[in-house]
Amino acid sequence: MKVQRLAAALLLLLCAGVLFADVPVRTEQFIYSILAFNGKDYAGTFAREEADTIYLVADVDNFITVRNVFVYFWPITQDWKTDTSTLNVPFQGTLELGGREAEPQRLGMTPYTYYNIRGEYELNWKVAKEQEAEAAWQHYQELMDAYWKSVSAYYEKRAMYEAMLNELTVTITRMRDQGQEVTPLIDTLKELKAPPEPQYPSEYIVPPVPIQKAFILNLPVGEYKIRFFTEDGRIMEGSERRIVAFEKRRAEAIGLEVIPGDKWTRPVESKTPASVLYIDGSTDLYLRPFFQQEYNDLFYEKMRKNDAKGNPTLMKWVRIQQVPQARVEVSRPSSESQMILEEPFYVEQVKGAALGYQIVPFDPEGKHKDREPSLQAFHVSISEDQRVIRLRVQDKEGQYLPTSERQIRVVKPSRIGIISLILAALPLVVMIIVMARRSRRYTS
Amino acid sequence: MNQRAHATTVLAKRRIFETLISPGYYIAQTIGLVLAYLLVAGFVRAIDSSGFNYSLNPAYELIGRSLVGAFGATFVEKLFSEGPFLFTLYIAFLPVLLYLAVSSVFRFGLEKKVGALELLTYGPADGTSYFLAALIKDILMTAIYLVVLLVFLLIAGIANNLILGPSFYYSLIILFFLSITIYAYGIFASSLTDNSASAIAVFLGLLLFFIIIVMGSFTVVSGYVRNLTSVFAWIIKWISPLFYWDLALRVVEVGNWGMYFTGIALLLVLSAVVLFISHLTIKARGVRS
Repeated sequence: MKVQRLAAALLLLLCAGVLFADVPVRTEQFIYSILAFNGKDYAGTFAREEADTIYLVADVDNFITVRNVFVYFWPITQDWKTDTSTLNVPFQGTLELGGREAEPQRLGMTPYTYYNIRGEYELNWKVAKEQEAEAAWQHYQELMDAYWKSVSAYYEKRAMYEAMLNELTVTITRMRDQGQEVTPLIDTLKELKAPPEPQYPSEYIVPPVPIQKAFILNLPVGEYKIRFFTEDGRIMEGSERRIVAFEKRRAEAIGLEVIPGDKWTRPVESKTPASVLYIDGSTDLYLRPFFQQEYNDLFYEKMRKNDAKGNPTLMKWVRIQQVPQARVEVSRPSSESQMILEEPFYVEQVKGAALGYQIVPFDPEGKHKDREPSLQAFHVSISEDQRVIRLRVQDKEGQYLPTSERQIRVVKPSRIGIISLILAALPLVVMIIVMARRSRRYTS
Repeated sequence: MNQRAHATTVLAKRRIFETLISPGYYIAQTIGLVLAYLLVAGFVRAIDSSGFNYSLNPAYELIGRSLVGAFGATFVEKLFSEGPFLFTLYIAFLPVLLYLAVSSVFRFGLEKKVGALELLTYGPADGTSYFLAALIKDILMTAIYLVVLLVFLLIAGIANNLILGPSFYYSLIILFFLSITIYAYGIFASSLTDNSASAIAVFLGLLLFFIIIVMGSFTVVSGYVRNLTSVFAWIIKWISPLFYWDLALRVVEVGNWGMYFTGIALLLVLSAVVLFISHLTIKARGVRS
């Protein structure tokens, strides 16, 4: 009996081991929380205790704060994360910044906000500091207050409209039942219009964030050292870090995002004129030209995520923003060049067992009424007969954009591929001939 | 000097003839071309509606995943952005490069060991003319193979509607000069050692060392390993042919042709320096093992 109980207890313990998943070990760490500009956007990362270097794009405002949080490794995504829900203690103090040549300087925390205003291009990021930040935040608040007031007024008007609509409908029904004349009331009903919905403020693509305080680093290209001083003037232990401020190597190049008609979720990017887009020609392509900049792979990846890996010896092109009002010239061998314009498209799910998506022209009056287009793109029709298609991008003034030339090639497994294999064996044939001739010469 | 040049020419002609009548060179060429065929055919089969997708071909999936793991996604993206030919060029060139280099090193060591080289030096030839002849043979055989490979890949490209991109041509040219420096290191290894086995071991050791250093700087591993290889690379890079190869390809990417040709010139200078050291070594140690 005792043995059975013991076995049952052991079994339970074993089950417990199986049932309870591994909980990541959280350790309290002093971290640098970084909000870095990556050429197109502001994105957050953090430098934990083991990270000796922080990477930042040069000559732009980057925001750094220091805090104590729980840090843990998340094996599913293979990266380090912070648990700020349990512990998030920001420190107040000063940051000492030293370069190789310059004397170390102490930086204080500055109130700031950042936002992206709507313009011709997608990128119109502004950073407002101190009084300017207050003003920017105030302006945004006023805009939002005005919007919410208009929303409130709209709902009142809408309620009145619906009440009036209801009342008229009831009256018309009652009068009609009594055999009375309802034409004037029906005319009134027809003239009744719903109040217009207020428009959300369109001034911002990204509205200002609430004002925060941080060390603002806007550094020229180079290497720096930082360490944190607490309010009582002591150096925080383990706060020394190296900062690498890097810049783009090349800019204003054109890349193309290519979306195949049957794989809306799997776009590819063509980044240099030398890169050729080889496709099987089974579906049309939808293109979106964009400006791109070239950065060091390691620096850029580490700037986006401090514990990321990257290749220090390679440069990579990074997509920045779409080319506004572009046009794409398509040249096919058998026909004249054709200029195509950007059009709206809608992505529909394929019905039946096939699954997947298909991209169709956006029909705002028909079946896509009251919906937004899924994408704005240049449609390039593909057929297996036209094996080479050349593309060039023009800007809104009709000027060809440098580095925008591309080739699309339709590739099918070749029937004459076997000839290549025979050719590959040709040296063996030559060898046999040479050896046979020599053998014949010496035997005769 | 004229006598040495004459001896070199005669020996080189003999070595070229011997290479052409023996099966090794043809077999190495066939291996290279068959590898090229397989890589191009695999690439074509890995193309779908959105372009090259290495997961569609088991061989490419293995290659792609390994390369991404070691060198990162950006490396693989650049490697295949112009098609399969850049990767194919390096893989298909390797068998012939290794065959020519190792066979020359082996023969040098063997002839030294059996006294054939010593016998030659009693005549008009000396150690320097002997290794120069071997070098000329290797250069010529490499040039022939590169032309054969280029023609083969052009045909494969036309058959499959693929094109050889600019990176391919830059690499093709620099590979020729890189191979000269590698052959020079082979001669250097032979001049240092007394027999074939040790000559091959020294040569392959040197080659491996250069490869590890250059690969170390390309890997995506973080922290200690890369820092270590960076320090090593900084010290060693000046004598590594792979450093000048990498330098030339890196600068030509941004259209710096001057530096590209400087890289080629530096490879030739390095070859000349290594050959000169080999000449001095042979002079000091003699041709007897």
